Amino acid sequence: MIMNKNASLNEVEKKTYMSYHQDGLIDIFVAVYVLLFGLGILLRTVTDFSTWFVIPAIFPAVMVPIWMSAKKRITMPRIGYVKFGVRGANKLMAVFIGLMVAGLGTFMAFTFASTQWSWASMLRDLLISNGMIIMGIGTAAISGLFAYTMGLKRLYAYGLLALALFLTGHFITFPLEYVLLTIGFVVLINGFVLLARFIRKSPLTQGDGTNAKKPL
Amino acid sequence: MPKNPSDLTTIDRLIHEPTRLMIMTQLYVVESADFLFLQNQLQMTPGNLSSHLSKLEEAGYVEIVKEFIERKPHTALKLTKKGRDAFKEYRKSIKKVLEDLPM
Repeated sequence: MIMNKNASLNEVEKKTYMSYHQDGLIDIFVAVYVLLFGLGILLRTVTDFSTWFVIPAIFPAVMVPIWMSAKKRITMPRIGYVKFGVRGANKLMAVFIGLMVAGLGTFMAFTFASTQWSWASMLRDLLISNGMIIMGIGTAAISGLFAYTMGLKRLYAYGLLALALFLTGHFITFPLEYVLLTIGFVVLINGFVLLARFIRKSPLTQGDGTNAKKPL
Repeated sequence: MPKNPSDLTTIDRLIHEPTRLMIMTQLYVVESADFLFLQNQLQMTPGNLSSHLSKLEEAGYVEIVKEFIERKPHTALKLTKKGRDAFKEYRKSIKKVLEDLPM
């Protein structure tokens, strides 16, 4: 049962979110994105073909329709369809947009400042030399924020893994592309495990559930 | 709006029934869901869910839309404005009742 005497509306909402993302599809697509980034950097390093780096940039436009189609074909026939309205979706979107705006604003302010003042230029060099640490902390923070908002606890683990790998990369000079490939690979494997488990646990249902002939 | 929120007789009994309360709660946190999703979330049999949904629909709390998507039957469910207001009122009333009880 979804409710117990301590259940709050937020908990019900989180459980609803969680149940909709236990299919592992989001993990698989995020993993492919991270892997493409890693591959892009690796191939650019190996072949000196700088446009490899562009591939991950066009990924969302290509993959979002595929992700939605996979959701429609794999998830919805098994557990049904839900549309998250003003509460959950807006909250998540607000977090995402807030992070994007804050990131962009900081980047622009910083770019401007580094051309004006020498301290900003020194700070920029310092940030670049500690890029792995910053990326590790940033990834862990974003994963943690999404984990908390969506109620997906495995995102905490992904965040910690990223933090550990980026810190390792910084301190023992493990190249960025290998850090990204390792993270992507681990998340991809976990995504497929979740997908297999989901398909096994949730057999296909005939009709819309009102006639309940399960499994198919 | 009940005159005295801490008066138990003002509690909406249609929502107060545990199964219907679960249905209302689940639909309150989403914009809409289909029959299969609700059935899976609440672990209910189709017959049981149908009968409670009918009562909520009769009261005007839930809107049930039966349609065909890609030639497959689909039953979409959502709380009406009246249903959302009734649920908010129910929360307020039950909270007040429980707060007023001596420890």
